[in-house]
Amino acid sequence: MKAKAIKIGWSVVYFVAGMLLLLGMWDMVSRMTKGELPSPVATWGTFKEVMTNPWQNDPDYKGIGIKLLSSLARVGIGFGLGSLIAIPLGFVLGSSRIAMNIINPIVQILRPVSPLAWFPLGLAIFQDSPKASIFMIFICSLWPTLINTSFGASSIPQDHKNVGKAFGFSVWKYITKIMLPYTLPHIFTGLRLSIGVAWMVIVAGEMLSGGIGLGYFVWEEGFNGGSIGKILVAILIIGAVGLLLDRIFTSLQKRFTYAV
Amino acid sequence: MSTATTNIATKNIADSILEPVLTPTTAIGINNVTVSFKTPKGTYTAVKEISLTVQKGEIVSLIGHSGCGKSTLMGTISGMVKPTTGEVIANGKKVFGPGPDRGIVFQNYSLLPWLSVYRNIYEAVDSALKELSKAEKRELVERNLKTVHLWDHKDKLPGQLSGGMKQRVAIARAFAINPSILLLDEPFGALDALTKSNMHVELLKLWNLDNREKTIVMVTHDIEEAIFLSDRVVVMNNGPEATIKEIVPVPLERPRNKKDIVHDPVYMQTHDRLLNLLIDKFSIADIKD
Ligand SMILES: Nc1ncnc2c1ncn2[C@@H]1O[C@H](COP(=O)(O)OP(=O)(O)OP(=O)(O)O)[C@@H](O)[C@H]1O
Ligand SMILES: [Mg+2]
Repeated sequence: MKAKAIKIGWSVVYFVAGMLLLLGMWDMVSRMTKGELPSPVATWGTFKEVMTNPWQNDPDYKGIGIKLLSSLARVGIGFGLGSLIAIPLGFVLGSSRIAMNIINPIVQILRPVSPLAWFPLGLAIFQDSPKASIFMIFICSLWPTLINTSFGASSIPQDHKNVGKAFGFSVWKYITKIMLPYTLPHIFTGLRLSIGVAWMVIVAGEMLSGGIGLGYFVWEEGFNGGSIGKILVAILIIGAVGLLLDRIFTSLQKRFTYAV
Repeated sequence: MSTATTNIATKNIADSILEPVLTPTTAIGINNVTVSFKTPKGTYTAVKEISLTVQKGEIVSLIGHSGCGKSTLMGTISGMVKPTTGEVIANGKKVFGPGPDRGIVFQNYSLLPWLSVYRNIYEAVDSALKELSKAEKRELVERNLKTVHLWDHKDKLPGQLSGGMKQRVAIARAFAINPSILLLDEPFGALDALTKSNMHVELLKLWNLDNREKTIVMVTHDIEEAIFLSDRVVVMNNGPEATIKEIVPVPLERPRNKKDIVHDPVYMQTHDRLLNLLIDKFSIADIKD
């Protein structure tokens, strides 16, 4: 108990040290560019400004909170749909060599394609730019989850399979009581990687598609609006949310890992 | 004296009348089974041309040195291991795969780590005994968990149990589905002497419960355990290409009393014989000296 408290204490110390280092370098660069890059203090001012009335929801202006939620919603839908396909497909690939042999080359060809390359295709299919960004998120959410799920499902220990065989588990019971629980940590690893990619890609997608979201905020209000401060604020918010998403999936992954 | 003779006489008459009913039927027939494994270094033949018949209601132990192929042979009965040549007949049907008519206690327990002790048994019962109602299934799980003294631990995950406790869960799971053939691969290996003795009694109780119609095949390294429980002890040669070295009958009356049988000359002879078969350097003469 005490050892744990000390460990947490130290990690806080390291975190603070890292942050101070970042702020120090940032401040230095800001001084060197004579304020071209806003200093941390100046950015803090912009941050407070951006954060006033985050839930403002007028037809002509949306607060930062609304923008964040709208980006998250797009990521959520694309990522959700992607996972809904990737997980069951991963089960199939993991349990059938034949399916794996057939599908694997397709995956190998499509996976390295930059998510952004899918955007115009989505636009051509849906004729709608927000849908095209969702399509892009969907595609890039597929691969890590698919690959990790199929790896997990293909590595179920013989012991566990034998239990199912010996007691005559139905296919459904085998899936829900053996395959899914065993594969869960792998699925969460995949989901974690997927959501990371999705979150990274949404900013680019929204820059292309416009509309309401953090990506468009960076482009329109930051770059076009000539406010580097807003770009920095957006970067910090995007980073913090990304970290939070990653942490959620890491803790889920830990939660569902069992000692034998 | 005269009563004794009459007793014997009546017994003979009774036997001859009951003969057709009592004629033991074959529960397990292992016919010329060879199992070879493909390994990177070529094929490895674990057991070769083994034939063994186990009667219904019989308790048979397999003993032999580690790695000689006991688990492999058990696997061919359970259907987990496919014989390379030969066949196994269980309950009159050729074995093609595992089935709930043959309950197994695996050597490594094989519990599902994400299910509680209770769920581990419940899911097995639920699958193997589909015709039972939910309440009956629950009752069965509860009774068997109490038998192995784990009811208080029913909500724990396997990772929170000791080796011996895990083993008892595996035993309760196999007992719960009440199979006509029970296959036990070193089921009591991880238990302390006292718990082991209790488990022996529970095993025999279970066996008695079904008018001794249950057939039990058990792998063990424990000679005393083999003698106390079995009708016959099958001693295997070392592998590769292991065969049956000898089948030693255990002609001790049942019910057997653990404390008393050790002084029985039949017990001592059987014990010597088994020890002799297992440890080549020893001879009965050495032990007597
Ligand atoms: N799947 C397999 N692939 C290759 N070789 C195997 C396989 N299963 C068992 N063997 C080999 O077959 C032999 C017999 O193994 P088995 O597990 O039946 O031994 P055992 O008598 O049960 O030993 P123990 O008393 O240690 O449990 C061993 O040499 C083992 O290495
Ligand atoms: Mg073994």
